[in-house]
Amino acid sequence: MSDSHKHPSHDHEHDHSHDRDHAHDHAHEPAPEAPEMNEYAGTQALSDALRSSFVIVKVIMVGLVALFLFSGFFTVKPQEKAIILRFGKPVGELLNPGPHWALPSPIEEVIRIPVDQVQAVNSSTGWYATSAAAEAAGNEPPPGESLDPSRDGYLITGDQNLIHARATLRYRIADPPLGYVMNFANVPNLIQSAFDGALLFTASRYKVDDALTRDVAGFREAVRARMDELIAQQGLGIVVDQIDNVRIIAPRQLKAAFDRVLEAEVRRGKEINDARSYENQTVSKAQAGAESRRNVGQTERTRLVEFVAAEVERFTNNLPAWHANRELFTQQRQADLLRVVFTNAVEKTAVPERAGGNRTLWLQLSREPFTPKTLEQPKDTH
Amino acid sequence: MKRNPLTIAIGALLLVIFIALLFIFQVRQTEVAVVTTFGKATRPITQPGPYGKWPWPIQKVYKFDNRVNELESNLETVLTSDGYNLLIQVYVGWRINEPQSFFPRFAGSTNDAVKNLQGVVRNAYSGVVGKYPFSAFISTDPKALKFSEIEQEMLKRVQADAGANNYGIEIKFLGIKRLGLPESVTKLVFERMESERAVLVSTIEGEATTQSSAIRTRADTESAKLLAEAEAQATKTLGEGEKEAAKSFEIFKQEPELAIYLLKLKALEQFLQNRTTLILDDSTSPLELLKSQPSAGAQKK
Repeated sequence: MSDSHKHPSHDHEHDHSHDRDHAHDHAHEPAPEAPEMNEYAGTQALSDALRSSFVIVKVIMVGLVALFLFSGFFTVKPQEKAIILRFGKPVGELLNPGPHWALPSPIEEVIRIPVDQVQAVNSSTGWYATSAAAEAAGNEPPPGESLDPSRDGYLITGDQNLIHARATLRYRIADPPLGYVMNFANVPNLIQSAFDGALLFTASRYKVDDALTRDVAGFREAVRARMDELIAQQGLGIVVDQIDNVRIIAPRQLKAAFDRVLEAEVRRGKEINDARSYENQTVSKAQAGAESRRNVGQTERTRLVEFVAAEVERFTNNLPAWHANRELFTQQRQADLLRVVFTNAVEKTAVPERAGGNRTLWLQLSREPFTPKTLEQPKDTH
Repeated sequence: MKRNPLTIAIGALLLVIFIALLFIFQVRQTEVAVVTTFGKATRPITQPGPYGKWPWPIQKVYKFDNRVNELESNLETVLTSDGYNLLIQVYVGWRINEPQSFFPRFAGSTNDAVKNLQGVVRNAYSGVVGKYPFSAFISTDPKALKFSEIEQEMLKRVQADAGANNYGIEIKFLGIKRLGLPESVTKLVFERMESERAVLVSTIEGEATTQSSAIRTRADTESAKLLAEAEAQATKTLGEGEKEAAKSFEIFKQEPELAIYLLKLKALEQFLQNRTTLILDDSTSPLELLKSQPSAGAQKK
């Protein structure tokens, strides 16, 4: 096989070696027919070689044609769709995932579109000059006195403050996806610019404190709304999946000043909470007091009513005896009372009457409380 | 060499392919092309598909990407109508739509086209931005903001200029990518921001005092009110009790003397229930029994 291949291209070499063989033959064994025989054999060999080479060429050609046709098979992957361009012009429907066949290049061309893949771009104009590595290592260059527009990015807020902001936009190719592939040369760049524009647009109408702390979620929503608007306006053919990694900070130069405001806000929150808890305590204490006062009122009322009822009963019970003999009745009551009194009284002092009827009693007020051991008589003189 | 039908077929095929390569070219969906005859643009092609041409050196095909490309202008200082220096950078989406104009204008060089576009955009800066005050770009008042209007106006201006210059370029859209202030101004802004922060701190502190004392006062008022209401209600309840009791007093009218006597007795009993020191005159009943002649009177303490 390798011989036959070489044959046409190395014709000269073959002849040369043949001559040499011939000379060699002459020297050893003279034979007049020998050259003729050799020539015939050579032709024969040549023709054999040609024939076999044609067969091989045919096989190769069939193989090439087969390869040519098979090269048109391709698979569309699960997250993709594809479109066939025939002579550069889209033909047919979008191809769904699975095996497909197209005519080989240059007649047809397959363009794959990653429709389901979520792609991401980062904003580029809102952050001060730093690098991811320096940031991770925590040795970012210290802030200067001002922001150099050629290096440092920032946004101007509606109330004319400067802030730094950055975020990541995640997006997918919208349906129909053909525009994304066919209409734009470098979509990520355009999307990044639009995203920067959306951040700028949103910041330019936000107050600094809203953007930084009070309404970060609203800020993000506003960026997204503006982004949707720009996508529609510019026909970018994408859908925003989400906006994340949103970071909005005050300029590093003013970190301390902004922190002081935050601290003041925290203090205010604490003070108000303290006041609220005072309010809760005071009011619930007052409620309890009021409740108890009402109860006391109710109790007093009940007591009064019951007391009077009891008195009425006592009166009614005693009325016949009173009517019967008033003197006896009062004497009896008085005696009863005194018995009770004498039983309960701790000290009893009887002061006899002197002749002349003049008596003076000296009472020591606020004396020491009575204790049995150090029994002390009140000072009493006549 | 034997003449073989296969060989002839192959030969013919190769010839066809060779001729096709010489005479046919295709323009993709993403391209536009211009055919030049002896170096002169003669036929623009804006639709994709296969096209015929005369072989080199008679005709030649120049293809251009017709997809939208992005151009970012330089950050430049523009004076607003109210005298602020504003740094502005825009992005422009542009595409080649008339290859027969684009090709001779820029000799087929996209870089040249970009340079020219930069100039056009720069003109639009001063022409449009200078008409608006600073608050049209930056404001918390939505009525003052003219962001989209400015973008649209700049777009129209750039479109008009590109059209007038016959660039063969279509400007699809224009947006503001960046706004900034001159470096020296940022320093002043920082100073102002710092003083604003200080004002804010004192405002917040003031608010804290005002609000918390308002809450405390409210709490005190509320509790005083609650107690007063309860007091009133208690008094009312008691009054009702007294009214009810008063009905019972009607009964006492039968014999007021007895009623008073009994009430006094009761009061005295209760008074004497506590630890009491009692100093009695010896004439008090029944102490008078200790003496020969009876008398009356009692002293208590």
